Amino acid sequence: MLKILPHSQKFIIKLLFGAALTLVISSCATKPPASDLAARSAFKENNDRLEPFNRAMFDVDQAIDAVIFRPVAWTYREFVPDPVRRGITNFLRNLRSPITLASDLLQGNVDRAGQTIGRFVVNTTIGVLGFADIAADLGTPYHYEDLGQTLATWGLKDGSYLYLPVIGPTSFRDGFSQALDTFLIDPVAWYNYADNPGWVRWAYFGSVYIDARANTMTATDELKASSIDHYASLRSAYRQNREKEIRNGAPAPLPSMTNGEDDPFAEAPANK
Amino acid sequence: MMISRRDFATLSVACVAVSRSAFAQDWRNSPNALVEKFAEKGITDILGAAISQREKADRFRVLFKDFFDIPSIGRFVLARFARTASAEENEKFAMLFEDVIVYTWSRRFGEYKGQTLKVKDNTPDGNDGALVNSYIMDNDSQSFAVAWRLRKRAAGYRVVDIIIEGVSMAITYRQEYSTIIQQNGGIGGLLAQMQKQVDEMKAKLA
Repeated sequence: MLKILPHSQKFIIKLLFGAALTLVISSCATKPPASDLAARSAFKENNDRLEPFNRAMFDVDQAIDAVIFRPVAWTYREFVPDPVRRGITNFLRNLRSPITLASDLLQGNVDRAGQTIGRFVVNTTIGVLGFADIAADLGTPYHYEDLGQTLATWGLKDGSYLYLPVIGPTSFRDGFSQALDTFLIDPVAWYNYADNPGWVRWAYFGSVYIDARANTMTATDELKASSIDHYASLRSAYRQNREKEIRNGAPAPLPSMTNGEDDPFAEAPANK
Repeated sequence: MMISRRDFATLSVACVAVSRSAFAQDWRNSPNALVEKFAEKGITDILGAAISQREKADRFRVLFKDFFDIPSIGRFVLARFARTASAEENEKFAMLFEDVIVYTWSRRFGEYKGQTLKVKDNTPDGNDGALVNSYIMDNDSQSFAVAWRLRKRAAGYRVVDIIIEGVSMAITYRQEYSTIIQQNGGIGGLLAQMQKQVDEMKAKLA
């Protein structure tokens, strides 16, 4: 497979492989003793086997973000009017329709695949290359799908939490599938394999990144300002949001209380 | 003594207000109405009121205690660690947790730009509870989903969790706090860090 990829892809794959190797040999999180039930259940819930490594990568990522990506996204938000930014978000979403469609089909979700095709046709034509989300106004809202969600619906667990610089919070399953989505399924990747100028891909990556960063800025700022352990609260929030995407927005099952009660939000005894 | 027309008008308004308040508590027994009431009170009495930030925080504390079951949320957040903690530690946690929420929310009251909340529907949840689905409409016509987890208590429904775009406030606190407890010297370490956070947020509010 490596043969068909241009040089830049080979480099990235080598880089990913190198990162994976570092992960394996890096220190793992220490499992609490079996006697400490509370700590044990928290450890299991967090599912973060590489926590020391991830925390180091989190610090690196936060530093890069503070110096480069956040200021760029902030400027973009500040100086580009809302409707224009909205149009760009719509355009980029429309462009990744093939990934969504492939995922819908692989999940056996014919209804959603139909929605994706309908949205693509309507928005590309009447919506002027996808800048206007006419399909949503007509009653078919956007939905996000990717290979990681597909593998999750097939029953593949996320492996462990993973934090990578620039990429941000992910997991073994989702990080690996994101690479496949980006380099094999994305039509922009194919455009590049056909000997087209390389800057198109980097302009595309850059736009996707800054668009996403600008759209999540309020939420990430708020989480950072309100938490004591920013790494831990982001891990929790990321994972819950990811699970919601996998469930296609259906409400989460009630969290477990681990003390045998059937309702974790039962009335506190002191209150009765 | 003559009663002027104006006095009469005032009196009748007062009478209507009194008779309405007798029924006014009905919203406590309807999940959707309770959430709508919380948003309404929050917007008119706090977000839109011309009062100091500190006063907004004080008013929010009253509102929060009235609409939320804080002991039940605190118990969920501490989970198993509550059983190994002493009575004093549990009490201190309850006090600090209330402060953390009050000051976390209060920090952002100044940024309110006319967003509105629309309740969509509700589904049964847990024992005698409901999950109310709502949307917050942002100023750039973007909306995000907020679900309110409610439980029926003696005086009507109380909120036990808020879930924004799939992210539960209670679960996020629980997972963050359990990590702090494990890595920063047990529950004592958590309480010290919460106290520090509250002090900092309080100082910024003034």
